[in-house]
Amino acid sequence: MNKLNADTARRIGLSVAAPVLAVALSVVITSIVLASAGNDPVETFTQMIEYAQEPRTTTLIINAAVTYYFAALAVAFGFRMNLFNIGVDGQYRLAALLAAAVGGAVELPKVLHVGLILLVAVIVGGLWAAVAGLLKVYRGISEVITTIMLNSITTALIAYLLTADKLAVQVEGSNNIGTPEIPASGRVGGIDLVPDSKLQVYGLIVLAAIVGFLYWFVIERSRFGFDLRATGRNEEAAVASGVNVKRMVLISMAISGGIAGLVGMPQLLGASYTYSLDFPAGIGFTGIAIALLGRNTAIGVAIGALLFGFLDTSSQILDLEGVPKEIVLITQGVIVLSVVIAYELVRRYRIVAQQREVGRQLSSAAGSEDSKPQGAQA
Amino acid sequence: MKPESESAGVPAVELKGITKRFPGVVANRDVNLRVMPGTVHAVVGENGAGKSTLMKTLYGMHKPDEGTITLNGEQVVLHNPSDAIARGVGMVHQHFMLADNLTVLENIVLGAEPKRWGGFGLNRAAARTRIREIGKQYGLEVDPDVLVENLGVGDRQRVEIIKVLYRGARVLVLDEPTAVLVPQEVDALFEALQVLKAQGLSIIFISHKLDEVRSVADDITVIRRGTTVATADPKTVSSRQLAELMVGSELPSPQTSESTVTDRPVLEMKHVELVKDGRHLLRDVTLTIHAGEVLGLAGVEGNGQAELVESIMGMRTVDGGTITLAAENITTWTTRRRREAGIGYIPEDRHRHGLILDAPLWENRVLGHQTRHPNTSGPLVNRAGARADTERIVGEYDVRTPSIDVLASSLSGGNQQKLIVGREMSGNPKLLIAAHPTRGVDVGAQAAIWDLLRNARAEGLAVLLISADLDELIGLSDSLTVILRGELVAQVDPSTVTPEQLGSAMTGAGEAA
Amino acid sequence: MRRVTKLVAVAAAATFSLAACGGGSDSDTVDSGDSPTSDIKVGLAYDVGGRGDQSFNDSAAAGLDKAKDEFGVEIKELEASNGETDAAREERLRLLADGGFNPVIGVGFAYATSMGKVAEEFPDTQFAIIDDETLAETPNVTSLVFAEEQGSYLVGAIAAEASKTGNVGYVGGVNTPLLQKFEAGFKQGAEAVNKDIEVQVKYLSQPPDFSGFAAPDKGETTAQGMIDAGADVIYAAAGGSGGGVFKAIKAAGADHWAIGVDSDQYLTAEADVKDIILTSMLKRVDTAVYDFVKSSVDGEVLTGVQRFDLSDEGVAYSLSNEAAIEPFTAKADELKEQIIGGEIKVSDKP
Repeated sequence: MNKLNADTARRIGLSVAAPVLAVALSVVITSIVLASAGNDPVETFTQMIEYAQEPRTTTLIINAAVTYYFAALAVAFGFRMNLFNIGVDGQYRLAALLAAAVGGAVELPKVLHVGLILLVAVIVGGLWAAVAGLLKVYRGISEVITTIMLNSITTALIAYLLTADKLAVQVEGSNNIGTPEIPASGRVGGIDLVPDSKLQVYGLIVLAAIVGFLYWFVIERSRFGFDLRATGRNEEAAVASGVNVKRMVLISMAISGGIAGLVGMPQLLGASYTYSLDFPAGIGFTGIAIALLGRNTAIGVAIGALLFGFLDTSSQILDLEGVPKEIVLITQGVIVLSVVIAYELVRRYRIVAQQREVGRQLSSAAGSEDSKPQGAQA
Repeated sequence: MKPESESAGVPAVELKGITKRFPGVVANRDVNLRVMPGTVHAVVGENGAGKSTLMKTLYGMHKPDEGTITLNGEQVVLHNPSDAIARGVGMVHQHFMLADNLTVLENIVLGAEPKRWGGFGLNRAAARTRIREIGKQYGLEVDPDVLVENLGVGDRQRVEIIKVLYRGARVLVLDEPTAVLVPQEVDALFEALQVLKAQGLSIIFISHKLDEVRSVADDITVIRRGTTVATADPKTVSSRQLAELMVGSELPSPQTSESTVTDRPVLEMKHVELVKDGRHLLRDVTLTIHAGEVLGLAGVEGNGQAELVESIMGMRTVDGGTITLAAENITTWTTRRRREAGIGYIPEDRHRHGLILDAPLWENRVLGHQTRHPNTSGPLVNRAGARADTERIVGEYDVRTPSIDVLASSLSGGNQQKLIVGREMSGNPKLLIAAHPTRGVDVGAQAAIWDLLRNARAEGLAVLLISADLDELIGLSDSLTVILRGELVAQVDPSTVTPEQLGSAMTGAGEAA
Repeated sequence: MRRVTKLVAVAAAATFSLAACGGGSDSDTVDSGDSPTSDIKVGLAYDVGGRGDQSFNDSAAAGLDKAKDEFGVEIKELEASNGETDAAREERLRLLADGGFNPVIGVGFAYATSMGKVAEEFPDTQFAIIDDETLAETPNVTSLVFAEEQGSYLVGAIAAEASKTGNVGYVGGVNTPLLQKFEAGFKQGAEAVNKDIEVQVKYLSQPPDFSGFAAPDKGETTAQGMIDAGADVIYAAAGGSGGGVFKAIKAAGADHWAIGVDSDQYLTAEADVKDIILTSMLKRVDTAVYDFVKSSVDGEVLTGVQRFDLSDEGVAYSLSNEAAIEPFTAKADELKEQIIGGEIKVSDKP
């Protein structure tokens, strides 16, 4: 038995080793790129890290991570059952627009107002994602295709809705256009999480923590989560076990979209109070990268979100120091690719190692010829 | 027919004592094979008997754990297919490995020794000449400049063969070459094989179509359960005898003792129809299984057995008829509801339908029983309960594993199957569907699983047994039904029928006993 | 295995999309020549695209370069990322202000909210924002805005005069209120000359997709469609996509004209298409930036809303394609005087 415990220890070690190696590899590659462009890699990274330690920057990193966290959880939820929701981007933008429109149109007591905005966002995101779910279930169209297309449709839809005669108001003298500002009762104040920082962390970080916990609980502890993971790992076996896969696809897409609906909320309720032309776009794609990096677990994704938050935010300082800040895009890309490869290698190694271990234990117990240690060469 | 080399010469291929293990299973055990030059040597055996594993060994795709490979009298170690090719062994896979968007010539030279043909743009002409030569020499003519996507199946196979000959193969391994061909193409292929043989090449012909084998082969080796059990002379052996050799008769007996059949019907199917794209997958299927009865379903694979099982399980919606379980009409129920009502299911392909290979054993115990005690309580998974019950199954059903936390993929096939049987027997099932319950498991586990099925029957379960192993089917069943092209065509009495009679009934040839 | 392949594909897609977010970056080079020096440090934050976008970022850069050469000011340029938040823009402005840069210029209306906040934090720093005047009340923010509709009005009139088919086109880069000002002016100008004229209007992309400013292929097909529908003069208010419009016009042959935007594209466009560029609607972001920096150097910094229009040549039409534009200048100049004189009011709403 302690052999197996050793195996467990090794397994945990390997799980940690994979992302660490991936990050290290990307640092090396980034350094090479930096050096070949004539920048000092050590100095560059030092600058980024020092800059990140300033209280103000730390706050910004956390705020970016909160937003990324929702996006990555939305993607990860689908990934857990092999659903590729590439449409988080469209889902959160449409959700944010409609939630902003509703939030800016009403005046309610604080809790109700915020609750209403969040509810609208979740429902819009969920329904929009469910469109892809429906098409998959009833028409057999890959959700990868439909969600990508829905992203474009979202853009067109928002362009149509975000005009002065529909959901938006035109502020005199501005070349921007956005929804009416959400009144104070619908805003979520910040938290002084980082000492000495003038900036505040988004109040919705609490919601992110709650959603993260629920994500873990539902996936790992509930019957629904079991069905979801079973479907993700072996759909045919799940069908044979009585899982209604069509229903699961619909529900999972909707939940994934619902979480996606929250992506824009920290920004909307904590900073901009309006959905305008310059509302951040593209976070859904960052979410895909982070979900891959974090292996679709609540904790892993949180760490990935912080890492991406750090890279994105700290890159600002690079421009000031004369280093092209696009360098962090290389870092991020390499991290994601190497993490996928590293995890797969580790997964295979684990399986082979465990099979060997099982074979060894059984043969020493039974001495049977058929279960001698296997020289698996896979 | 046979050239002189038969008696005199050194064998082109000689495999001695080949054993190949995969984690948890022994795919080949003590395999011996002698192929003489200038002959067609058939290797026959059931699906999963180990033919493909053996050929992969010969083709250098993996190394045997024990045993030797001798080619033309020289003992060799093959590290990879390039080694095999260099020593004149070529393989034509069942599924063609051709690039549709390239021409025949390009496909043939693709991946050929770069030293000789490096920068093949320069050698295109040479390659074309060579291909034409091969075509003439062996009667395998194909236009080198036509796109592969424009070729029919027979021509594609010819390209595959030329590709192998182009690399200088003297031993050709053909894996189920006729599976994809229409009869005329089969004839053409056999003619080509005769030419190749006459030129002194050796052909290893893998098949389970016994009539073909008898007509084309010079020698036959039979593989059963991973080992070579017999050689036969195609001139004297009958297809029935071959079939018997393939299925085997000296296995541990699956006989059941006295009948436990009651008159209480558990499963009743009435006039069940299943239609897909205008084709009947099941036609007017009517059957009844009583408590304590094992109903054996005999048939050549692909005659509707899988569809029948999936209809009972609710994985397919039937297009007509009713299915009743313990007097309740379950025709429109979901799979989950049917399982909850007491159907246990040992699927034909346990890796695809029975297990989540990269999940630990205890999670696999929950699979199919997600809504039931002790696995879940309310909407939550009861980890402690599920784990405890997995320990129980591991103990009661003798699943050999160091822990219930290992991944299902780490267990041998037999132990995986025992886990499934144990799981499906949990929760007081009324009906157990056992599809090929002993396929791919070792002999020990086979006996254990037979015991478990007998016990289930004794406890009053209704069992639907599907198997390609006719001894198993005859030995365990209380009654036998033959399925052919989606119809139940015959009822036979297992106490009197022989495997030969059953075999004939399965192909629609013989009389029902 | 299949699962892995799929994963890798998605990872690659994710990486790609990340990479796609980054624009080209020819970052700042702070070499000081031997020319005059000044202790003024100018910070400039670009909109997405940055220096090298062949559009208004470049125009701002040109103004900055000119100021640097003339006054020897130290400059620092920072670029924006696609899809960034206000927090990121805020941080960029703050970095500049914190680093002692004064004045700090934000290129593009997207900086409005963030500049409002940062300007409050650094009351001693003078800020300037281009294309926005919502911060008119903030004392240390100068709004540099343009009467694009006026310049567009003139080129609209020229287009209508030059058109033989009575059918002209407007290709906008991205459908934003700013670009709608161009559209509005162009339409009014064209209709002022020929009230029956048909004006085709197309935008290449919808926000937040700002690719319409950098999609010459889309510009070309869109212009081609307009030509097929009868247009013979097309106004390309589409940044880098204008090149595609020029190609389509060139391909359509004689008697087809294109009108450029922002800078004098007759001088900057590729040699093989320049002859079909009738004129360009000049929006002198460079002048605005230069003037603003100059005022800082002079110690009498421009404040409040600085509107650049026809009267001060902040917007204008270009004359560099002399032979082509010559027949239309009389009418255009007449209209120009009327606009300056207030006899013609150009609306900025389409």
